[in-house]
Amino acid sequence: MTTDILATLVPAFPLFGAIMAASLRRSLKGNAAGILATLMIGLSFVCSVMLFMDHQVVGALHAAGMHQEHPAEGGTHIVKLFDWIHVSGMNVPFAFQIDALSLTMMLIVTGIGSLIHLYSIGYMHDDERVATFFSQLNLFTFAMLLLVMGANYVMTFIGWEGVGLCSYLLIGFWYKTPAYNYAARKAFVMNRIGDLGFVLGLAWLFSVMGTLNYTEVMARAGSLSTETITGITLLLFVGAIGKSAQLPLFTWLPDAMAGPTPVSALIHAATMVTAGIFLIVRSSALFMFAPITQDVILWVGLITALLTASIGVFQNDIKKVLAYSTVSQLGLMFVALGLGAYSAAMFHVTTHAFFKALLFLGAGSVIHALGGEQDIRKMGGLKGVTKVTYVTFLIGTLAIAGIPGFSGFFSKDAILMAAYQAHPLLYAATLGVSLLTCFYMFRLLFLTFFGTYRGKAHPHESPLVMTLPLMVLAVLSVVGGVLNLPHLIGGHETMKHYLGTAAEGISGEHVHLEASTEWILMGITVALITLMIALAYNRFVKKTTLDPEADKLPFFQRLIARKWLLDELYAKLFERPYAWFSSHFESIGERKVMVPLMVGTGSTANRVGKLLRRLQSGNMSFYLFSMVVGLIALLAWTLYHV
Amino acid sequence: MILLLLIAIPFITGLLLLVSRPPAQARPIAMVATIACAVIALAQCWQYPGGELTFIEKDWVPDWGLRLKMGYDGIGLLMLMLTAVIFPFIIAAGAKENQENPAVVNALLLFTQSFLFGVFSSQNAFLFYIFYELSLVPLFFYLLFWGGANRRAITMRFFIYTLLGGLALLFGIAYCVVQEPSHSADFSALHALHLPYDTQVWLFWALFLAFAVKLPIFPFHSWQPDTYTMAPLQGTMVLGGVLLKMGLFGILRFVFPIVPLGTEHWRDLVVWLSIIGAIYAGWIAFRQTDLKRLVAYSSLSHVGILCAGLFAWNTYGITGSLYQAFAHAVLVVSMLYIVGAVQRRTGTTDLSVMGGLKLKSPRLAALFFLVMINAVALPLTQSFVGEWLMFNGLWQMEGGLWMTVAAVSTIILGAVYMLYAYQRVMLGPDTRVRPGVLLSEIADADQADHLFLVPLIAITLVLGFFPAPVLNLVQGSVQTLLSSLH
Repeated sequence: MTTDILATLVPAFPLFGAIMAASLRRSLKGNAAGILATLMIGLSFVCSVMLFMDHQVVGALHAAGMHQEHPAEGGTHIVKLFDWIHVSGMNVPFAFQIDALSLTMMLIVTGIGSLIHLYSIGYMHDDERVATFFSQLNLFTFAMLLLVMGANYVMTFIGWEGVGLCSYLLIGFWYKTPAYNYAARKAFVMNRIGDLGFVLGLAWLFSVMGTLNYTEVMARAGSLSTETITGITLLLFVGAIGKSAQLPLFTWLPDAMAGPTPVSALIHAATMVTAGIFLIVRSSALFMFAPITQDVILWVGLITALLTASIGVFQNDIKKVLAYSTVSQLGLMFVALGLGAYSAAMFHVTTHAFFKALLFLGAGSVIHALGGEQDIRKMGGLKGVTKVTYVTFLIGTLAIAGIPGFSGFFSKDAILMAAYQAHPLLYAATLGVSLLTCFYMFRLLFLTFFGTYRGKAHPHESPLVMTLPLMVLAVLSVVGGVLNLPHLIGGHETMKHYLGTAAEGISGEHVHLEASTEWILMGITVALITLMIALAYNRFVKKTTLDPEADKLPFFQRLIARKWLLDELYAKLFERPYAWFSSHFESIGERKVMVPLMVGTGSTANRVGKLLRRLQSGNMSFYLFSMVVGLIALLAWTLYHV
Repeated sequence: MILLLLIAIPFITGLLLLVSRPPAQARPIAMVATIACAVIALAQCWQYPGGELTFIEKDWVPDWGLRLKMGYDGIGLLMLMLTAVIFPFIIAAGAKENQENPAVVNALLLFTQSFLFGVFSSQNAFLFYIFYELSLVPLFFYLLFWGGANRRAITMRFFIYTLLGGLALLFGIAYCVVQEPSHSADFSALHALHLPYDTQVWLFWALFLAFAVKLPIFPFHSWQPDTYTMAPLQGTMVLGGVLLKMGLFGILRFVFPIVPLGTEHWRDLVVWLSIIGAIYAGWIAFRQTDLKRLVAYSSLSHVGILCAGLFAWNTYGITGSLYQAFAHAVLVVSMLYIVGAVQRRTGTTDLSVMGGLKLKSPRLAALFFLVMINAVALPLTQSFVGEWLMFNGLWQMEGGLWMTVAAVSTIILGAVYMLYAYQRVMLGPDTRVRPGVLLSEIADADQADHLFLVPLIAITLVLGFFPAPVLNLVQGSVQTLLSSLH
């Protein structure tokens, strides 16, 4: 019972906060809306923690009992509220599934969400629509919680579309700028393209399974034919591509940086964009049986990771660098999924949430300090002024670069090991991504905080309400690795075992490398990363090399800096033809074909009518009128004689 | 008697308005009458025990098989309910319109409602036909005298086109009645007819054509955009919100049960036509420069999916289609109200000169947004439930794979044109507002706007979150219908 109430409260608090902040937006003065929203998500976090504790106890009981053979059944609790869509053979309940996987995501969403809400109180302090902002941020959290807590695919889809909507609203939050609105629309439409696959996948899955409840689908996954399961998983993956910004649909994410920075941190780095990874881990029992899909995931992830990491090297906007880095890291997570290393992917989701949220909030603090400046060429030397921001940003950079001891090191290493086990070349490719990441992140760090200040603003450190979340996230970025310490250094892969109780794919994972091989690979990685940092130091601290505008770069670099011209390509291939057909269907299809056809039919009828008119008096209104009168008379007469 | 009451209340109120013509009280009187109908209809839903009920059964013109046989099953009751619930809103929408002779307008609208009640409660084919054609009459006058530019030509075109469809239907009915041993035109008798396959193949079109035009589906749609755009706001609401549901209802009453083999023969073609129309219209909608016309095309696109879902011919498809019929009625009426509200503020429906309305009308923008999420069928809105069921219905159709792919692609098209329209009207800087309309003079959504839109949005969200009442209403009848077909 307590579980049911707690599980319902987790999404209920942010929903309540969203409704209150929206309806009272005129009377909530100053920080009131921010405090309300932060409080709501804080309460949600507390409930999640209580659920987690509760679940640990239950899990321990199960582990001690008879359920060791089927760990997936051990800690799964379904909270059913009511039948949502119930039509003959289809029953989609409004229900939550509480297990290790959803709890992990709930803790990330509400935990990091709380910090980002808190930070936003400071960041959005001067905005005139601050209450609306917090309302939408709360609404996003609600939708994200539905996504991760749903006990069936359709529940997840509610959240899936809900987060898309909030993402649209928040990217276009400053709605007076048409470019921002365009970015918001682009994000929503590209997500919708992915949704096409998602919906079709669900329809297919339902037609073969007769249910969309996770527990039942996963239990019977093995009974499907390979063709069916490959088709379904590919379609679900299309959904994941849209939401998690992978090739070919990733171009919306960099543009999504138009939104306020806390939004970028929460939605476009820590939570929403990992929904695609969550979906695949949630369905790992299906994906396990679809080797072709796994290969596709692997390749899409790898190419996305390499491509976007290369773009990140040439960006001059502090948020754009981080955006490409996010896409690239998501690509790495998909590589892990493609290799069947689900726990590695989830581990990286978690640590990435810590350090990428930290980096984005740090970037926000810098932007705040410089009065809105986002161009790193006009920054520099900030480490003396914004000390807390600098130290925490440095920690975030060390974590994402994969410096031993920091959380990113362990999670990235898990992916690299899985890659090596599949093929040394794959290891080399993922290592390449890591090195590029390391290079552009240190470029960012050095150009922002080192050297001398190159701008005209008056930098100042952000208030405590903003720096406090930075400090908490910095601590998490350092120690996050302990969640899943590898056996190699005496850990127990705690997170993997925990998640293994929820996702069949994880409990079936096997990574076997010789300890010596692991040490050697780790050594290579660390050595090369150090080299990269040295390179970046040489180029950006000793000399302070500033890249010119993209169009002044040499050809190949220009190509990379302009996203490999993907935006232009899509505009030529899709956007413009779409608009062209849209107007010509009307001007030619309708005006020249359909309407004349109809008029032709009409005038033929008219000619027949004219012939008849010679017999009759010939006024349409009169006919209609007499028809009515006649019928009424007839009706009255009949009723009278009954 | 309760059905007669539903038909009589609006009809008699309409007559009274026509005779006494009180200019100021016309709308309040009409409101009272329609609200009374809504209460009655909702009470009927509340008490509905399931199955097919007949309330009135009297001979009228026995030689033609024409009998006064009226009642409803779950499907009919849903249609009655949606007509009854939507009409008070349609009447209320006139409050902000600057119209001549409001008494006559309201009388015409009330007549339409009365006849629509007749259509949805007819259990006799001829009776259905009479009400079906009668419902056009008040609308004809309304469009002809209160319409916008080019109203004569467009109204005549619309009218001749629909009458031609109606003529085919009349012929179809007559043919069936002749075939029926006792020459009864009761649906129950016609549904028991087992016509030969070859007959059904051609008879299908005689029966279907009227409804194909009424809905309309591609390629019988070309009257629709012009008529919707030209019609006065309330007229478009009637056309899009309620009148086209006669098409769905007619298909369920005539086409499926009387010519099941014919339906099976033509089913793939009809589904493809519907889906092609849905994509075609959704695609065109994107580049419309007139907001009302954009809404017309968006309605056309939605209706295509509605018809495809119906012809999927299984529980999910038909239930989804019926569910969506209600959602679509709510959507069309609220969307058109927004169009009117925007037009009153900017003096235009031309998208190319709009922008930044949200600056002065943030509440209106919020309401528009809430209506829009229903239009793009976001989960937890009414439209999602309907679309979800229809997509599943299509998928489970034999050979429905590519049909479903094509149908689901409209969720992309919908997002493209709706978000574009919203951005064009509401967002951006205020520079694009037409010269002559000062932004500072533009008022935000007032109490009346909220009274109109908030209940409609509430219906959308409540039935999106808890669709069971409507699903349960129609489910039994859909099962009965389907089991009689196979």
